[in-house]
Amino acid sequence: MILSRFWYAVLALALGAAAFILLIAVQQFNRAGNRAMGESLTADSSAVEWYLKDDARRRASALVPIAVNPELRSNLAKSSGEAKVSREVQSKATAALKKSAAELPPELKFDAMWAVDAQGRVIGAIDEVTGANNSEWELGGFSVVADALHGWIRDDSWVWKGRIYRVVARPVEQELNGEPVGAIVAVKIVNDEFARAVSKRTNTAVGFYAENQRVASGAPEGFDKSNLDSITQDLKYLEGNKDYEEKGRTEVRVLNESMGVVYARFPGEAWDLGAGYAVGRLAVRMDTPMDFLWKADNTDKSAVTKSPVFFAVIGGVVLALILGLLFSYFEHTKPLRTFMDQTVLLAKGKLDVLAPSKFSGAYKKLAADINDGMEKIAEKGGVPRKAANLEQVLGPMPSQPAMSAFSLPGEAPPSSGPVISATASSGPRGLPKVPPRAAAATPAPAAPPAIEPEAAPPEPSAARRPPPPKRPAAPPAAPQVPTAAADVQVAEASQIQPLDQLTGGPADAFDEMADWRKVYEEFLALKEQCGEPTANLTFEKFKGTLQRNKDALVARHNCTRVKFTVYVKEGKAALKASPAK
Amino acid sequence: MVGKKSRFAAVLALLLLPSLAYGAAAVTVKGRLAGTQKLLNPVWNEAKDPASHSYSFREPSVTTRLEARTLTAQIEKEVAIVAVSDAGGGTVKGNMVLIGGRAVPSTLVITQGQSVQIENKDPFPHRLYDTGNKGLQVGDTPPTKARTWAPPGPGKYEIRDQAAPSLRAWIVVEPKAMNVAYPDRKGEFAIDLEPGKYKLRAYHNGDMVGKELDLVVNPAPAEQPLKSPLLVADEPKKDEKK
Repeated sequence: MILSRFWYAVLALALGAAAFILLIAVQQFNRAGNRAMGESLTADSSAVEWYLKDDARRRASALVPIAVNPELRSNLAKSSGEAKVSREVQSKATAALKKSAAELPPELKFDAMWAVDAQGRVIGAIDEVTGANNSEWELGGFSVVADALHGWIRDDSWVWKGRIYRVVARPVEQELNGEPVGAIVAVKIVNDEFARAVSKRTNTAVGFYAENQRVASGAPEGFDKSNLDSITQDLKYLEGNKDYEEKGRTEVRVLNESMGVVYARFPGEAWDLGAGYAVGRLAVRMDTPMDFLWKADNTDKSAVTKSPVFFAVIGGVVLALILGLLFSYFEHTKPLRTFMDQTVLLAKGKLDVLAPSKFSGAYKKLAADINDGMEKIAEKGGVPRKAANLEQVLGPMPSQPAMSAFSLPGEAPPSSGPVISATASSGPRGLPKVPPRAAAATPAPAAPPAIEPEAAPPEPSAARRPPPPKRPAAPPAAPQVPTAAADVQVAEASQIQPLDQLTGGPADAFDEMADWRKVYEEFLALKEQCGEPTANLTFEKFKGTLQRNKDALVARHNCTRVKFTVYVKEGKAALKASPAK
Repeated sequence: MVGKKSRFAAVLALLLLPSLAYGAAAVTVKGRLAGTQKLLNPVWNEAKDPASHSYSFREPSVTTRLEARTLTAQIEKEVAIVAVSDAGGGTVKGNMVLIGGRAVPSTLVITQGQSVQIENKDPFPHRLYDTGNKGLQVGDTPPTKARTWAPPGPGKYEIRDQAAPSLRAWIVVEPKAMNVAYPDRKGEFAIDLEPGKYKLRAYHNGDMVGKELDLVVNPAPAEQPLKSPLLVADEPKKDEKK
């Protein structure tokens, strides 16, 4: 039992530990997931930043062929020196601009492009997006244009009417090492097409926002772009965010526990106008330990089943199962089976008492309690079950609960014949008196001589408590021998005693045939005393009965002699056979 | 005869009087600015600082002359030349145009009590306000529209735009201002003044720069060049010259 209980405790502890570890694992997984997501988002944000810078550089480089266009340069130079821009110059400059812009590679096409003179006035324009009156417009106030007009190449970001423009500008020089005569300014609108290009190149989900609205977004395959809509409601968080205002980038924010977001400000004028971009990643989160199972795909399961750890776990489980079964068998099933076997033997009469030493645990006490119960029943004289069981098993039995019995052959068992028992008078030691059976238990057999056994010593295994009255095991081969006149009941003593003790004289002087003759005479006398018929009981028949009983006892007990004595049992003459050596 | 002569003289006098009067007010003083290369545009120079996050990359064009890379002021749009007189009494109005990410002129000088009309010629709305919170509340100025504002009193008012960080302008209310002129790209200017004594000042970024130039405008000739340029920046010290 102790192993089973220990095993149950171990299993309970293991189960509790597993549950606790799983809960810890959920928290740790979520924390690690958030940290990894944060690192990934920071990398994503940096990747977008680098892409924007690289894109701006490539676009600025793409303006070189336009800036060196001779016609454009000459018209810009001409315009820069005049107080008023002529229509002719504007027309020529615009034509030259369009011609050069048409040669740009498709991925570097601009949405609008202007050629400005040294005063910042628009001389040529390709513009169908801003709605500006380009014939009277100028751009000289913007720092990116001013930089270009002072010999600098750079980018910028504008926000006009809620739309973000990526701007690049580079100077136009008429002569080497001279002053710029103008600049080329080009813009690319940040729209979904632009965002998709950013997303494709950086493999990020990115959304651009301006004036508290999302203006464009792009996401890699598998990422639902509508998730980026939630950034619109979160933009108010950016107000007063120290990291965002000072560093231009926020820490990771988790929106609706489903998506992590990092916001970054757009460089350029857009920086001050609240425009920026957000990169997002779906949060991999486990709400419960079961999510580990539900959210696992076939790849996960395949990887686990191929892992050596998996086989170790399976081996551990099998080992635990075997151990549990073994513990259960040895501590529950086997003792129970032993107990059941013993009780079956007890029920069949093959055992007189249950031996507690054969049992373990609770069965030991159970056996002792059963023994006590049987003892008390015996003391009260209530042994109907014993007679009924033995009769069921062995057939008609003498009424002695602790003895086996058989009848002499050839003697018809009269249903109501008297039984003459040779009691204390038949021997000097006397035989223990067994309480008589209840009258209703068995009908009286046809007066066979009853042979009672000697008093048996107490069962050694039941020494720790007073033994119940000795009930010799029913002799499995106890013959029931019918006689011609009356039954001769022979009871068997189970213990072998020295012959001299049984006869009261020296063993070597014992004459068996004379003794049998004497017993025969005593038996007849006792039968007559009990009023039993004796006409048909000849010595020869009597002797044959005794011989068969003797042979049986010798074979069973490996003894050399058998001493028969007569006594009265329940008003009838009976014989008792005692094995001797 | 006498009657005829006197009538003729009276008619001649009536004809000549306006022309004399007009000629007295239309004296044009021509001059030029000196030291303009030292005037820097504050917006552009702030923007070039990497800490301003105004760009993701900024690099010089190797084919541009080094001196040209300095972000000097565009004086024709940023410098105002003001003639002031102790006598006062002048009336100087001013208009400002929002175009190309800036206000032109970026420094506007008016006399007290005058209002300023600000017109938007950009294709996007501007949201102007004065940084001193002295009366110009934040308000949209849509494209092709204008708003008018009368500064409450003498002083300098800095105007900014919530929609265009590059826009920065100043309105100077100078009670003694008699007239205002703006130079061309070369720094040359012409200002019409009545004969009298003036001080000529240059304003940049809302502040007077350089040194005042005493000016005496004679009734004739109609165009009177300045004998010396109007300095808009302090002359470099001798040590600096070395």
